[in-house]
Amino acid sequence: MKRRTFLSGVGATGAIALAGCSAEPVNQTNTPNQSDNTLTVATYSSFTGDGSAGSWLKSNFESEHDATVEFRTPENGLNQFIQRKSESAPIEADMFLGLNTGELVRADEQLDGQLFATADVEGADSVKSELNFDPDGRVIPYDTGYISLVYDEGEVENPGTFDALLEPDYEDALIAQNAQQSDPGRAFLLWTIHEKGPDSYLDYWRGLSDNGVQILSDWEPAYNAYTNEEAPMVVSYSTDQVYYHGEDVDVSRHQVGFLNDQGYANPEGMAQFADADNAELAREFMSFVLTEEAQSEIAVRNVQFPAVEGVEPGGDFGKYALEPPEPVTFGYDELAGNVDGWIEDWAREIASS
Amino acid sequence: MALRDGRLLPVGVAATLAALVAVFYYPVGSVLLSAVYDGAQFTLSPVRSVVGDPFYHELFAFTAYQALLSTVASVVVGLPGAYLLARFEFPGRRFVRSVTILPFVLPSIMVAVGFLAMFGRTGLVNDVLGAAGLGPVELTFTLEIIVLAHAFYNAPLVTRLVTAAWESVDPARVETARTLGASPFRAFYDVILPQLLPALLTASVLTFVFTFMSFPIVLALGGLELATVEVWLFARVQSLALAEAATLGAIETALSLGLIYVYLRFEATQLNARGESRGRARIPLVAGPRSLVDPKRLALFAYAGAALVLFVGPLVSLVVESVTTPGGQFTLGYYEFLLAQQASTAAGTVRPLPAITNSLLFGAGALVLALPMGVVVSVVATRDSRGSRLSEALLTAPLAVSGIVLGLGMLRTLVFGTTLFGYRLTVTGPVAIVAAHAVAAYPFVSRNVTPALGSIDDRLVDAARALGADRTTALLDIELPLVVPALIAGAAFAFAISVGEFDSTVLLAEGVDSATMPVALERYTGNRSLGPNLGPATAMGTVLLAVTTVSFVLIDRVGRGWAQ
Repeated sequence: MKRRTFLSGVGATGAIALAGCSAEPVNQTNTPNQSDNTLTVATYSSFTGDGSAGSWLKSNFESEHDATVEFRTPENGLNQFIQRKSESAPIEADMFLGLNTGELVRADEQLDGQLFATADVEGADSVKSELNFDPDGRVIPYDTGYISLVYDEGEVENPGTFDALLEPDYEDALIAQNAQQSDPGRAFLLWTIHEKGPDSYLDYWRGLSDNGVQILSDWEPAYNAYTNEEAPMVVSYSTDQVYYHGEDVDVSRHQVGFLNDQGYANPEGMAQFADADNAELAREFMSFVLTEEAQSEIAVRNVQFPAVEGVEPGGDFGKYALEPPEPVTFGYDELAGNVDGWIEDWAREIASS
Repeated sequence: MALRDGRLLPVGVAATLAALVAVFYYPVGSVLLSAVYDGAQFTLSPVRSVVGDPFYHELFAFTAYQALLSTVASVVVGLPGAYLLARFEFPGRRFVRSVTILPFVLPSIMVAVGFLAMFGRTGLVNDVLGAAGLGPVELTFTLEIIVLAHAFYNAPLVTRLVTAAWESVDPARVETARTLGASPFRAFYDVILPQLLPALLTASVLTFVFTFMSFPIVLALGGLELATVEVWLFARVQSLALAEAATLGAIETALSLGLIYVYLRFEATQLNARGESRGRARIPLVAGPRSLVDPKRLALFAYAGAALVLFVGPLVSLVVESVTTPGGQFTLGYYEFLLAQQASTAAGTVRPLPAITNSLLFGAGALVLALPMGVVVSVVATRDSRGSRLSEALLTAPLAVSGIVLGLGMLRTLVFGTTLFGYRLTVTGPVAIVAAHAVAAYPFVSRNVTPALGSIDDRLVDAARALGADRTTALLDIELPLVVPALIAGAAFAFAISVGEFDSTVLLAEGVDSATMPVALERYTGNRSLGPNLGPATAMGTVLLAVTTVSFVLIDRVGRGWAQ
């Protein structure tokens, strides 16, 4: 009997395996199940889900337009589509939402063809000009965060400057993130390059290393280690107090510290894929994202600053989100041809220290 | 039963090979080939630039060094556990034995959180040390905590494999040795140790290979300062420097495969040394007041205390974090969050219940595939034919390939699709996940079954053959029933690996419908609707812990009941 169950088990899984495969003629351009009014938006996973900016955008866009919005959240983000494009696999999405300058540079450097199309989007001219990071106008910013320090007032004083971080007072005091894979980590590295210059930033980081900076993989583990009092300072966002305020919260543990009165802006943008099936719908959606109402909702729900001029989200966000006196950032042209080398040299410096 | 007449085994080998080619060799090969192909042009420049770079020499040397430390630590922590479980009887022994597999399912992010909560600056260990007037230990972001976390993952492997070997030591031979005047130590050294050695070496080689390819634990607990080869490989993939990543992957795979091959040759020389056995009776751990002053037992109690801190501590911390706010008050908010996710209709919401059922279904699917595959590999391994070590090493190759290389390969070939005869063939969704899990799991089935199969007395098989049974019938009717305990251990491993698998699942899971428990956990980590804290993730982690504990105890109990 055991033998028979063994055999039928093998047979059954074989049948399932066949059912999970599909074969489609290569020259067929449109997949048959793609209805004309479905918009497929690729984004990062925390943008979708309950109470998120994504779910608000979906339900409100759907109620105003005769369309269905579907989110895709591939784990490797934009890389998925760069690789699809370079392997001539179908893109299977109409637009991408949530890319930053460095990722656009990488996409352009990796691909000969165009991944994104230049789209004429209504309302794009109202985006704050300093946030625009695509010289070709394909990517339209929809929000921005500012990288800063978050520190525990009871443990350390606000360092105030980059140089202070090298002082003995801040020995073993800072947790940062890996610039190879973390947005705030990369922004912080670029900020130091902006400040110290491409020729001296490695010396500065050698100093930080000697003073005991810790480089953790990403924002969550870094912030968690900070919460567990492993160190009194962490690289994070200037919107920290939007989460932490109120009566039962010790705000002294959530002080935002700008260095040299700056904060590094990390604008997030959206763009329509050149191979989109529903280019028209993608443009309408992007235009919807830039409306004043959507901008406020995105700011509050995604806890990032609006990208459009004159939008002032109220409530807790308006009260607790801090903007740096002097926002700095690298533009596309400054990053092109440089960013990968900067990051790799930095990572080698840290890994061999 | 047309297959009965001796053709089942060749069919099984062919099916296993076909499955491996489709979901392992082809995807991985496509990645590794990009180390030597630039477009369509053969090139050695990526290999040359890696091999000639002093940075990489240091990176490989450090990776091997930490793997060696981790292996030693895992053996030191795991071996007394095997002694305790194999030789002593105490309440809950069977439960402890079944749950030694639990670390395999725990996603590294949870383990990292548990470790920080336990061994961190304000963790429980430092609290206790402080109360005893001892200085705080600074373990976080050091090599020590990485080694400790690796021991957390791999010492149970040592315990499990060695316990099984220890239980099958023939009591008659030990008694004979004692009667002939050997001291207990001498009897251990001459009789027991040689029979434990293959299992111990299996566990050590596996631990070394796993910790050599360590990635998330190093990143989460040590940071970039302690980067391993795998950490670097992942970063190269992230910046789409695929040729360099493939080169690192190829070198890493070659080293691991070489180690596995050398080990398999050793194992083959050891198999015949085993005999059949009914196992020795266990000694009660607590037997009257005198046993409480027995130095051997006191040492075991001390060991149990230390093991409790290392293994139970982080898990308890995890559960505690799931019901406390960052401020330290009791809360059920994170579980309410899970319920809200379950009730939610919003797009892109990963619901906990489907994640649980997916995990269980994929685990069952992986088990159904991995068991026959693993048995086929074991049968090949126990044949003493020329080249069987080499073919076994090739069939065991999934152990030696980094999860990142496999995930990348599957994505580029199966998910993106392959063009064949004018058709784009794609394998997607749950099937790809189950296949990936089965590929990751079957080597564990064969690592459990091979020694058991090898220890079967040839005379039994010969007798069956003489009575007219063909080779396949002898395998199915005589040999397999004799290795049922090993099969159950393998099944538990297969299930555990499937439930805990994260890297390829997350790449292959399409949307939220095929999310598993670890994927849900990761998604909740990034969900900041309750503020930036890991509460929702710890709640999901606690659910994962509960579901899988129950599953393993069931597999173990049901399996053992069936065996008797």
